[in-house]
Amino acid sequence: MEFISVKDVVKEYETAVALRGVDMDVEKGRWVSIVGPSGSGKSTLLNIIGGLDSPTKGSVFIDGVDLGSLSEDAMARFRRENIGFVFQQSHLVPYLTSVENVMLAQYFHSITDEAEAVEALNRVGLGHRLHHRPSQLSGGEQQRVCIARALINSPKILLADEPTGNLDRENTRLILELLKKLHSEEHFTIILVTHDPFVSKWAERLLTMEDGRIIKDEPLYC
Amino acid sequence: MVVSVAMGTAIATSLITLSLDIKGKVSRELRAFGANITIEPKVEGFADIAGQKRYLREKDIIKAKTIFWRHNILGIAPFLEEKAKISFQDRKKDVTIVGTWFEKELPLPGEKTTFRAGVSTVSPWWDIKGRTPDKSSVVLGVSLAEELGIKQGEEVLLDGKPYVVSGILSTGGKEDEQVFLDLDVAQELKGLEGAVSRVLVSALTTPMDDFAYKDPATMSRKEYEKWYCTGYVTSIAKQLEEVFKGSRAKPIWHVAETEGNVLERLSILVYLLTAASLLAAALSMSTTMAASLLRRLDEIGLMKSIGADSFKISIIFLSEAFIIGCVGGLVGYAISVGVVKFIGLKVFGAVLEERVLLLPVALVSALLIAALGSLLPIRRALRVKPAVVLKEAR
Ligand SMILES: Nc1ncnc2c1ncn2[C@@H]1O[C@H](COP(=O)(O)OP(=O)(O)O)[C@@H](O)[C@H]1O
Ligand SMILES: [Mg+2]
Repeated sequence: MEFISVKDVVKEYETAVALRGVDMDVEKGRWVSIVGPSGSGKSTLLNIIGGLDSPTKGSVFIDGVDLGSLSEDAMARFRRENIGFVFQQSHLVPYLTSVENVMLAQYFHSITDEAEAVEALNRVGLGHRLHHRPSQLSGGEQQRVCIARALINSPKILLADEPTGNLDRENTRLILELLKKLHSEEHFTIILVTHDPFVSKWAERLLTMEDGRIIKDEPLYC
Repeated sequence: MVVSVAMGTAIATSLITLSLDIKGKVSRELRAFGANITIEPKVEGFADIAGQKRYLREKDIIKAKTIFWRHNILGIAPFLEEKAKISFQDRKKDVTIVGTWFEKELPLPGEKTTFRAGVSTVSPWWDIKGRTPDKSSVVLGVSLAEELGIKQGEEVLLDGKPYVVSGILSTGGKEDEQVFLDLDVAQELKGLEGAVSRVLVSALTTPMDDFAYKDPATMSRKEYEKWYCTGYVTSIAKQLEEVFKGSRAKPIWHVAETEGNVLERLSILVYLLTAASLLAAALSMSTTMAASLLRRLDEIGLMKSIGADSFKISIIFLSEAFIIGCVGGLVGYAISVGVVKFIGLKVFGAVLEERVLLLPVALVSALLIAALGSLLPIRRALRVKPAVVLKEAR
């Protein structure tokens, strides 16, 4: 079985069907992009892979573990060991500084280690913004804090939902280069949702979704 | 949130302060019901059969202020009851004459202060129109005065001796048929110097509990000591009996029991009110907490998405509640100090004691409110699905 394995996943909401039977496998260490029009179910799929949401039907296996078999707290534990998230809105705790936001993830994982948190922020180029609150940071800087936070506990998977959606081209390139560098150093698996072709082409493989299904699966060579 | 915790704490702490003080205050007020112990000569053996009269000694009275519970003796009055003939103009009647003190300052042995004794300290409701009797005057019960057609200021003969009627007494009891004299005058008239037939005592007591009803005769030494040194009406009576020669002291049960009941109910009421106020505060804390958590659902969702389990999230929000509780507790304590002072002045006309000891009580109740009030909303908020809140744009 592949590292990430999604089997016939259906997600129905009261008012809409977001996923109509999705099958996909991702090898370990791959960088996969998911593209598709708005409302095609990309975010829903990503949230289900990360265990933030549960499918109506079908199952998700990560590293051989059936997410559907985990209790809520077991899921939380699994998530903090294995998965890092980056969202479009930066989703930082507004009253905490950069370094405290990163340390929050450490706290949930095990114990806090300020030196390690500072080091992680240095790696994303924010050594000079350690004690700023999110409101004092630019959008690109906020996303870099999120990346530092997502990677602080050395996850095996990074799930990113439109991480550059709110950024200009220059900041987008910065973020992608940063991700590329970290990916090549640490070999975590990336699943990145976007509708921007400039962003999607940084991946090694491109999945296209439409109306709750994957309609195209192509390799990319960069 | 701090406000609701503070209010709850203030109310609870005030009530607890009041309940500590209120018993003392109220039982003092209740002493207006009058005497709760009577001391009479012990009657036994041949004296009883022969119907021979026995007396207590007037000089023993002051000894009531030497017993272990002397500070609880709030009032005391002697009575000498004898038969006499009253005559007014051509009317004659056999009546009971009573010698007593209406109000008398007794010098306390070995102290510079005096102790106010007399009828006014054991039967404050006695209503005298006119003046209290002196060496040459008497006070008549209202029914007797009406029956014989006597008015204040007129002269009557008691056993042939003339006295001016200085006042008319009405109590609604048997006193309305009697004639009241100064104790000394009555003793002289009857040739019974230094004799008293009954002493009434008004004492502050501890409400009777199960232990108090045990028969002292069957108690172990230790139990007896405990009983003796607790201010039960029975143990105070026992101590009075010991200082009055040849006496028998008995609680006036209906008074003692009514008082005990009133106090008992009062404390139950206060406890209920305290519990209710804590509960109300917890509820109001809980609604505000719920509202605030609702605004912070995305924070919770975020925490979950970065791997927080419910326990660690609960700890974060509970420690917030803890801080709120501490602040609310301090504010509430400050408020309660004011409230208690105000109530003390309004209701009892006296400043109730401030108790620094109550600060921990205030803090504990505040924390209780905060914890109770936030547990439920936190649990509910934890059920949020992270995906839902994270997808919605802020
Ligand atoms: N919480 C929800 N309740 C109801 N419908 C939802 C919910 N979340 C998403 N949907 C619906 O599911 C479909 C897929 O949404 P989503 O996964 O967010 O798409 P994408 O990320 O590709 O834009 C949409 O039609 C959306 O309206
Ligand atoms: Mg989306």
